[in-house]
Amino acid sequence: MTILLPGTLTDAYRMLSDDPDVTPVAGGTDLFAHWPENRVKQSTTYLDLSGLAELRSMRWTKSELVLGALTTYWDVVTDARVAAEFPNLVTAARQVGAVQIQARGTWAGNIVNASPAADGVPVLLAYDATVRLGSRDGVEDIPLDEFYLDYKKMRRRPDQLVTEIRIPRRTYQRAWFEKVGPRKSQAITKVGVAVTVAGETWRIAANSVAPTVCRCPALERYCAAVAGAKGQPLTSPSDLLPAIRSDVSPIDDIRSTAEYREQVLARILFHALNDAGV
Amino acid sequence: MGKTKTPKAEAPLSDAASEAPSEGSTDKKNVASDRPLNLIGKPFRRVDGRAKVTGQTKFADDLHFPRTVHMKLVRSTVPHAEIVSIDTTEAAGMPGVLGFLTGDDMPNTFGILPVSQDEHALCVGKVRFVGDPVVAVAALTEDQAHEAALKVKVEYNDLTTIASVEQAASTPEPRIHDYGDTGNIHKQVSMSFGDLDAGFAEADEIFEDIYYFEGNTHLPMEQHASIAFTEDDGRVTIYSSTQTPHYLHRSLAKVLELPASRIRVIACPNGGGFGGKSDPFNHEICAAKMALKLGRPVKIALTREEVFYCHRGRHPVLMKTRTGFKKDGRMTAQHLQTALDGGAYGSYGVASTYYTGALQTVTYDLPKYRFDSIRAFTNKPPCGPKRGHGTPQPRAAFETHLDKAAHRLGIDPADIRLNNLVPPDSVTANYLKVGSIGLGDCIEAVVKGSGWRERYGKLPEGRGLGLACGSYLCGAGLPIYWNFMPQSGVQIKLDRSGGVAVFCGETEIGQGSDSVLAACVAEILGIDLQDIRLCVADTDLTPVDLGSYSSRVTLMVGNAAVQAAERAREIIAKAAGEKLDVPPSRLAFSEHRVFDIEDDERSMSFVEAVQAAEAKFGTLGTTGSYIPPRSPGRYRGAGVGPSPAYSYSAAVVEVEVDPQTGIYQVEHVWMAHDVGKCINPALVMGQIEGSVYMGLGEAMMEEQVFRRLPKKRSNALVHKHPSLLEYKSPTFHEMPPVTSYIIEDPDPNGPFGAKEVGQGPLLPMPPAVANAIFDAVGVRVDQVPIGPHHVLEALERKAKGKEGRVGPNKFPDYDFGVPLNVPTVAEGGDGKATNQETAGVRKGIGTMKDREEAVGKGGQ
Ligand SMILES: Cc1cc2nc3c(=O)[nH]c(=O)nc-3n(C[C@H](O)[C@H](O)[C@H](O)COP(=O)(O)OP(=O)(O)OC[C@H]3O[C@@H](n4cnc5c(N)ncnc54)[C@H](O)[C@@H]3O)c2cc1C
Repeated sequence: MTILLPGTLTDAYRMLSDDPDVTPVAGGTDLFAHWPENRVKQSTTYLDLSGLAELRSMRWTKSELVLGALTTYWDVVTDARVAAEFPNLVTAARQVGAVQIQARGTWAGNIVNASPAADGVPVLLAYDATVRLGSRDGVEDIPLDEFYLDYKKMRRRPDQLVTEIRIPRRTYQRAWFEKVGPRKSQAITKVGVAVTVAGETWRIAANSVAPTVCRCPALERYCAAVAGAKGQPLTSPSDLLPAIRSDVSPIDDIRSTAEYREQVLARILFHALNDAGV
Repeated sequence: MGKTKTPKAEAPLSDAASEAPSEGSTDKKNVASDRPLNLIGKPFRRVDGRAKVTGQTKFADDLHFPRTVHMKLVRSTVPHAEIVSIDTTEAAGMPGVLGFLTGDDMPNTFGILPVSQDEHALCVGKVRFVGDPVVAVAALTEDQAHEAALKVKVEYNDLTTIASVEQAASTPEPRIHDYGDTGNIHKQVSMSFGDLDAGFAEADEIFEDIYYFEGNTHLPMEQHASIAFTEDDGRVTIYSSTQTPHYLHRSLAKVLELPASRIRVIACPNGGGFGGKSDPFNHEICAAKMALKLGRPVKIALTREEVFYCHRGRHPVLMKTRTGFKKDGRMTAQHLQTALDGGAYGSYGVASTYYTGALQTVTYDLPKYRFDSIRAFTNKPPCGPKRGHGTPQPRAAFETHLDKAAHRLGIDPADIRLNNLVPPDSVTANYLKVGSIGLGDCIEAVVKGSGWRERYGKLPEGRGLGLACGSYLCGAGLPIYWNFMPQSGVQIKLDRSGGVAVFCGETEIGQGSDSVLAACVAEILGIDLQDIRLCVADTDLTPVDLGSYSSRVTLMVGNAAVQAAERAREIIAKAAGEKLDVPPSRLAFSEHRVFDIEDDERSMSFVEAVQAAEAKFGTLGTTGSYIPPRSPGRYRGAGVGPSPAYSYSAAVVEVEVDPQTGIYQVEHVWMAHDVGKCINPALVMGQIEGSVYMGLGEAMMEEQVFRRLPKKRSNALVHKHPSLLEYKSPTFHEMPPVTSYIIEDPDPNGPFGAKEVGQGPLLPMPPAVANAIFDAVGVRVDQVPIGPHHVLEALERKAKGKEGRVGPNKFPDYDFGVPLNVPTVAEGGDGKATNQETAGVRKGIGTMKDREEAVGKGGQ
C-alpha cells in the first residue's frame, strides 16, 4: 500500500492526473471500514487529502453555503448558523454512524462513495446542492441531481477531486429528513427521505430505495399539487404509492425488504404531509 | 524466644483431602448463614474491577512472549464438500511463513460432549460449513500469516447441502455426519410424564400455538484469542479466552495425544463469553499443536468474522405448544414439540435439545407433560449454548402462549401466572426437585412497580405493557462427562503473613466469579477482600472447577469455598482458642480479628491467629469441594434439567410502537429476580441489567440469517451479517431504564442461600416485549426477533380484517419415535420409565436396541 501526501491542491491534482488509479482518501470511514479483510481490493495507492488546508473550510457567501471537501458531519452539527438555515443538514449529520464517524466522515466522501444508502446525499439533493469538481484542467460545477449515472457510477473523472459542495441560500417554509434504520445509531438506512418546500417548489429525495440516492420528481409534483389544492386531498398512505413506484425501485437486501421500504416511505411522507397541514 | 517448636501433628493439617466431598446440602455447615454477615449482601467493589477499568487486566490477546509467531486459519468457503486437495506450495514461499498444519496432523476427534466427538482440529476429508477450518498457517507476523493463508489453495468437490430442519428430515443422504439418530437428524427425543390424555381431558379449554425463535450469537466484546508455547521438558502451555479450561484440557490431551499432566491450560479473564467460549475450539488446539511443531510461542487472535463462524450460539427453534387449561387458568397438561437447527456439529446440542423441554415444568405447575424434540445437522455454523442454553426459545413460546391463553380465558396475565406457580420443595412431573421459589414475589414486585393493575390494557394506542417470567438452573446437576468427582474444588493456603491464597479452577468471564469466590472466603475468615490472593483457572495450579457455564459458579464454587474456608477457620480457631483460653466455638472472626463473642477484650489479630495455627499445626492448607445432590429422575434423559436450585425472574416491559413504521422503543423494564441470597447487590444488578440488554437485542434485532453463495450453487448458507456493523445489537439509545428488584428466597443448597443470576433474567425479555407489543397495538408477532417489518405486516393484516399475527403457521409432522413413558410422582411413579426398552422407535427403523446395535453402541 502506498500513501501519497500532497502538500498543496496543485500537488494533489498532479498526482491524480499522473496515475488514474490513485484513490483519494478523506476521512477513510468508507474506504477502510473493511480493512484489512478486503485487502486484495485495497492494495492501492491512496492520496491523503487530510493535509490540504484549501479543502477544509466551510464558508458562507451572500448566496451560498459552501462546504469544503474536508468538511465533516461534526463541523455541521456544531454550527448554529447551519442549524438555523439548513436544519436538514444537521438532522442528517446527527444520524450518520455515531459521534466517531461524524467526527471523521466528510460530506464529499459520502457523495463520492455513492452508496444508495448515503444519508448526506438526500438532504443535499433537497437543498439543490451543486458539486464542484477540480482537476489540473480547471473546475466544473455539476448539480448533485445530475451527478449520479447509475449504481456507483458518477460524473467524476478519476483525475477530479470534489473540492466544494455549494448550497444555494433560500427561504424554506419546510424542511425535514427522516431516517428509518434498524436502530438509532450506527445503522445503515433502510429507507430515508428528505423534503424541502420553498414557496410552491417541492424537493423530495430518498435513499436506500434505488441504485442511487435520487430525487423523486413524481412525488414532488404530486405533493405540490396536493398542497396547492390542485389535486385530490390525501386520504391514506397508499395514495402516494403510484408516485413512489414511478420514482424509486426498492429491492430486498440484507437490511430490509422492498415492500417494507415502499410502505414506510409512503407512511412517513403521508404523516409528515398531514402534520404539515397538507 | 529463639526456641524452635516442632509442630505437633495432632489435628489434621489438611483435613479435607481424606474426606469425601459433601454431597449437596447434607453438610449443613456449607450454608454458613447462621452467623451475622459482614461482607455478603453488601455492594463491595469487584476484586478485578480496578484492573479492568484501568486496562491492567491481561486478556489473552494482550499476552506476548519472546519469539512469538502468529497463526491464521484457512477456512472453508463452501458449505458442504469433500476436500479434494490442499496445495500450500505458493503459500510456503511467502515471506515469513514458518509452517502449516492440516487435518492429517491431528486425526483424533474431539467435542465438548462425550456423545458428540465429531470435530477435527482441522477438517479431515470434508468441510461442513462456510468457516470450517481446513489449514493452519504460522508466520513471523500476523499480516504475513494472513497473506499466506490467502494463497493456500483448497479444491473442493461440492456435496448436497442442508439448510433447514425440514430439509434435514427429508434428506437422509448424504449425511453431514456418520453418526446421530438417523440420516441428518442428530438427536431425537420423546418423553411423556404422566397420563397426558387424562390431563387434557380435565381441561376446559385446549390452546395450541406455534412459535419460531430464529437464534442469535453471543457477541462478546472480546474476540477469542490463544497463545501456546512449549517448555523444554515436552510440556505445552496454553493461555486462552475460554470459559471451560478443564474441558479444553481434556480435548487437548485427546487430540495432541499427550498425557493431560503435561498440558497446562490457563483461562485468561474473558472479555465476555455468554456460552460462546464454552466449547474447546479448533484454534486452541491448532495453536498448541503448532507450538509443539515449531518450538516457539504461537498466537492466534480471531477476527470478528471468525467469531461469527465459531458461533455455538442460540439454536433456531420452531415450537408447538399445546396446553390444557381450566377456566381459572390452571394448567392441566402440556405437550411441547421443538425442532432445533443445530448447524454443522454436535457441540452441546444433545443437551440443548433436552433443554428446550426440561425446564418448562419448574416455573409453572404442569401436572402432565410431554416433550418431543429433534435436532438436525445443517451446513451452518454450529449452534450451542448461549445464555439460557436451550431455554429462552421455549420460554418465549410458553410465555406468549400464556399471554394469549389469559386473554382467551379473560384472566389478567399476571394472575394466570400467579395461579400456576410451582409449589416450593416439590418434585415436578419430569422429576426435577424444586427447592425455594420466589417467583410469586417477583411477579408482585414488577406488577406493583410498573403500575400493572392500573395501566395494563388501558394505555393509549401505541403504548403497551407486557409481562413474562422465567426460571433457570444454578448449575447443571451432572458434569458433562460421567464421573463421581467434585464439580468444584477450592484450596486455601494461609501463612504467617496473614495473607490468604485461594486456588480454584473457576473462570472469570465478567460475571464476577472472582469476587464471589473471594467474598465467600473473606466472609468466613473475617478479613478484607484485599487480603486474599486469588489463583484461578490454571489446570496446573488450581483444583478442578468445571467452568463458567450453566450458571454453576456461585453455587458450586461458593459451596466449595465455604467448605474450605470453614475448615481453615476451624484450624485457626483451635489454635487461637488455646492462646486466648476460649473454647473455639465461642470465637468470632471479624474485621481482621479473632475474638471471644462473650468478652471482646479477649482477642487477637487474624495474623496472630494464623501464626498461632501455623506454629501449632505446621504449614496450613485446606480444601473444599462440591458435588450437587442426586436428582430423583431415573429415566433416559433425566440428566438434563436437574440442578441444586432454580432461580426465578419476572419482567414487565413497556413499549411505544410507531404504527407508521412498525418501529418500537422499549421505554422501561421492571425486572425482579429471585437470587436466593444476594452475595453482592452491585453484581446482581449488573447481571440483571446485562440480561435485560442481551434479551432486548434478541427480541428486537439480532438476526442469525444466511444468504446464498453468489453462484447460487447452494442453499442460503453464508452468514449474512458476520460483522459488528451489520449484526445489529442495541446501542445506548435502545437501552431503556431498568428498575431491578432483588428478591431473596434463600435456598438451602446455595452458599449463604445464594442462587444464580447470570442467565435467568434474560429469559423473560423476548416474550415480555412481544406481549407488550400486543398490548400496545393488538398484534402478535410469534417469532424472535420482532422486526419493525413484522409489526407493520401484522398491522396491515389486521387492518385488512385478517388475523393480526405474523409467525409460523405449521409445525411439520416429524417422527419423534415412541415416547418414553414416565409416571409422575402423583401417579405413584419412581422416576423410572415403564418402557425404556421400546422407547425411541421410529417408523420403520426398528427399536432403540436395534439401533444401538447397528451403530455399535455409538448412539449414547
Ligand atoms: C461504523 C460506520 C457507520 C457509518 N454510518 C453511516 C451512516 O449512518 N450513514 C452514511 O451515510 N454513511 C455511514 N457510514 C459511511 C461513511 O462514514 C460516510 O459515507 C462518510 O461520509 C464517508 O466520508 P469519508 O470522508 O470517511 O470518506 P472516505 O472513506 O475517505 O472516502 C469515501 C469515497 O470517497 C472518495 N473521496 C473522498 N473524498 C473525496 C474527494 N474530495 N474527491 C473525490 N473523491 C473523494 C474516496 O476515494 C472514496 O471512494 C458509516 C461508516 C462506518 C464505518
